[in-house]
Amino acid sequence: MANTGWDEFEIGAMLRTFEGEAGDIAGTLQEDRNYTQNSSFSASVADWRIEKPVFNKDFCIDCQFCWIYCPDMSIISRDKKMIGIDMDHCKGCGICVEVCPTNPKSLLMFPEKEEEEEVIAAWPAKEKKEK
Amino acid sequence: MSEMKKIKNLKEFSTSADRFEGANLLCPGCAHSIIVREVLNATNDDLVLAASTGCLEVCTAVYPYTSWDASWIHIGFENGSTAVAGAEAMYNALKTKGRLKQPDRNPKFVAFGGDGASYDIGFQWISGCMERGHNMMYVVLDNEVYANTGGQRSSSTPIGSSTTTAPAGKVSYGERKNKKDMVSIMASHQIPYSAQVAPNKWKDMVKKIQHGMAVEGPVFINAVSPCTTEWKFDPKDTMMITDLATDSLVFPLYEIIDNHELNITYRPKNVVPVEEYLAAQGRFKHLFKDQYKYLIKEWQDRVDEKWAYLQRREEARV
Amino acid sequence: MAFDKVELKDIEVWDGNFAASQALRQCQIDVVAAYPITPSTPIVEGYGNMKANNQIEGEFVMVESEHAAMSGCIGAAAAGGRVATATSSQGYALMVETLYQASGMRLPIVLNVVNRALAAPLNVNGDHSDMYLGRDSGWIQLDAYCPQDAYDLNFIAFKVAEDHDIRLPAMVHQDGFMTSHTAQGVHTLDDDTAYGFVGDFQPMNDMLDFEHPVTHGVQTEEDWHFEHKARQHNDLMTKVLPKIQTAFDDFEKISGRKYNLVEKYDMDDADVAVVCMGTSVETAREVAGEMRAKGIKAGVVGIRVVRPFPFFEIAEALKEVKAIAALDRSSPNGAPGMLFNEIAGALFNTDTKALLSGYVYGLGGRDLTKKHLVDLYTELQANVDAGKVTTQLQQFIGVRGPKLSFL
Repeated sequence: MANTGWDEFEIGAMLRTFEGEAGDIAGTLQEDRNYTQNSSFSASVADWRIEKPVFNKDFCIDCQFCWIYCPDMSIISRDKKMIGIDMDHCKGCGICVEVCPTNPKSLLMFPEKEEEEEVIAAWPAKEKKEK
Repeated sequence: MSEMKKIKNLKEFSTSADRFEGANLLCPGCAHSIIVREVLNATNDDLVLAASTGCLEVCTAVYPYTSWDASWIHIGFENGSTAVAGAEAMYNALKTKGRLKQPDRNPKFVAFGGDGASYDIGFQWISGCMERGHNMMYVVLDNEVYANTGGQRSSSTPIGSSTTTAPAGKVSYGERKNKKDMVSIMASHQIPYSAQVAPNKWKDMVKKIQHGMAVEGPVFINAVSPCTTEWKFDPKDTMMITDLATDSLVFPLYEIIDNHELNITYRPKNVVPVEEYLAAQGRFKHLFKDQYKYLIKEWQDRVDEKWAYLQRREEARV
Repeated sequence: MAFDKVELKDIEVWDGNFAASQALRQCQIDVVAAYPITPSTPIVEGYGNMKANNQIEGEFVMVESEHAAMSGCIGAAAAGGRVATATSSQGYALMVETLYQASGMRLPIVLNVVNRALAAPLNVNGDHSDMYLGRDSGWIQLDAYCPQDAYDLNFIAFKVAEDHDIRLPAMVHQDGFMTSHTAQGVHTLDDDTAYGFVGDFQPMNDMLDFEHPVTHGVQTEEDWHFEHKARQHNDLMTKVLPKIQTAFDDFEKISGRKYNLVEKYDMDDADVAVVCMGTSVETAREVAGEMRAKGIKAGVVGIRVVRPFPFFEIAEALKEVKAIAALDRSSPNGAPGMLFNEIAGALFNTDTKALLSGYVYGLGGRDLTKKHLVDLYTELQANVDAGKVTTQLQQFIGVRGPKLSFL
């Protein structure tokens, strides 16, 4: 879409989300949808992040708190299980880490440049609760 | 009437296919997006959406991108409500005339607006829509400030909050008036449903949204939307702040059915002092100076009084 | 179809407002969202009465302001169907924000504007201040001179606005009270012929097509805004006038009534011409005839399409004329009048030697009398005889007190 001229787009600055017929969108997961280039799903805000969340599935109980409270539709849950993070759309706010109830947490924030495998290998141990 | 989406628990809810997309331009940690997701995911029906000018609008439809997977319209600052009302009128006309392209669908008409667009500049438009009885839902994303334009006071801004147009200073504690009670004002339009919601209490939210979508006629929803930028807290703390809002009863969760049946829908097990809610946000920082501490006490008294009032109304079924 | 058709007499005695109501009924509007204001109120009252008597199947939404009226029209039009409303003056002014939004979103709404002055001071009578207020708003603006025109031009407006090559909103202007409340004989079309002319609404980018979700009303900043505005201007400049001409031609076939982008009267050999709009055109035509009896070769050019401005057609109509008066019924408040400027622009760079002067008249419903026009034509002839404009370029006519003239 970059640098197109005045005669090259639809009138009224109207945008379409999907190519062709949308079908039952509420019943179609993102990977099965046919987005146009105009859907922000096709875009990335990865460069907004200073820190990134890393998911350690070993401790996850699939409570879905991270899914419901993620403001950026970036927690990927399929069949009631948390399976990963959409790193194109995650802005690195850290809410998912805050709402994660496991001990140790299944999600932690790390500087963007850290390697995922390394931080998972060095994942903190269970914290003892002080009474 | 289509079948209501069954959402027994969070795991079941998490199978929803979002109709609101990422890579929108909302701030990291913005509660608007969390609220919008919970509203949209409460139904599987088709949606016709509108937004008044404001954070949600300017961050989700910046050409050449849209973050909406359902038809969506923005006209201006004051008229998101009327935009969707017009679309609803057209739906009724085409239904009567047999010209709907997909006559078997059962669309829901929902408009979103910030508190500036709703409590202030769009107040009359919403009132008109509620009074005329359109089959639509209006959702306020209430962050108690004109956040999109950089933090000016609105008529939803609470006492003591520092905003750019009513800042705290040597002789000022910031906003001098308390916010108006939109849930009651809208209920007074004799609408079938008016409610206050919060994104942390997702189940309460979904129940209210589903109730609102099931009733015939206009529905008003006020959603507390903590603003990391203007309330001045760390983006990671959005849900913690929301918890403080609901558990301190600063934002009590309740519903008003047909303007005569008030139900409190959330009673915190441990009520948090209002002071904790205030202390967690930079916009109230100055209230902790000695000269303004009396305002914190007044805050607590006001919240207690409102809670007692809500309980009296609930008990009296009025 | 669940609504009742109406048998009309070949000629009905209607005022401009009721003529517009009847045209809206015959066009089978899907949604009318409206708010009452003098002098356009009877349009929506008439329409409401038809709705109450099952002559209309569409939705009729009486909202709480004119801003909401146009907002509702925009939402309804984006949803996908035929939409119309009516307003005047202060209501029009309140609507202005949404006028730009409707046209920028390329939504084919028809707005009947019963022209009225703008406060302050408050005034309910006809002048063209409201029409002029919207002239940069990106709408098509058609001008009726009498109830017959107000009726006919509504059909033209829908036909052009809804065309997929156009998709721009259109206003049909008529003069407050002088047209809107003056009953005259109006030649009618029967319901089927009228509806057949405008045809079924053809949706485009409609929100209610759930298989093709659309986003309307986006944000564009410095990287996109100019291109979108340029596109809209291009379509107004290149596509609309030919489409209106075609609609006029087609309309003549079903009605026998011929409309033109500019309406020339006795212009073939005219030395002096008045260019004006609204009811003044009919007055000027009558006086032009009388001036010819006195030996002054007078003609009249009526503006039928205000926007897009018929630049070349105006230049063509005026190319042989020796003196021209541009009549503006709106206070320019610190400039020459709109028509003066547009005509000057159209004639500049041509071979014309015509002398152009401007007149501001009729504000707040002040009558334009035949005497005014006799004096005006006489003045134009004096300009011709002297070979120069003998007065100042801008004169106020019909106002009490010392003579007002400028430039």
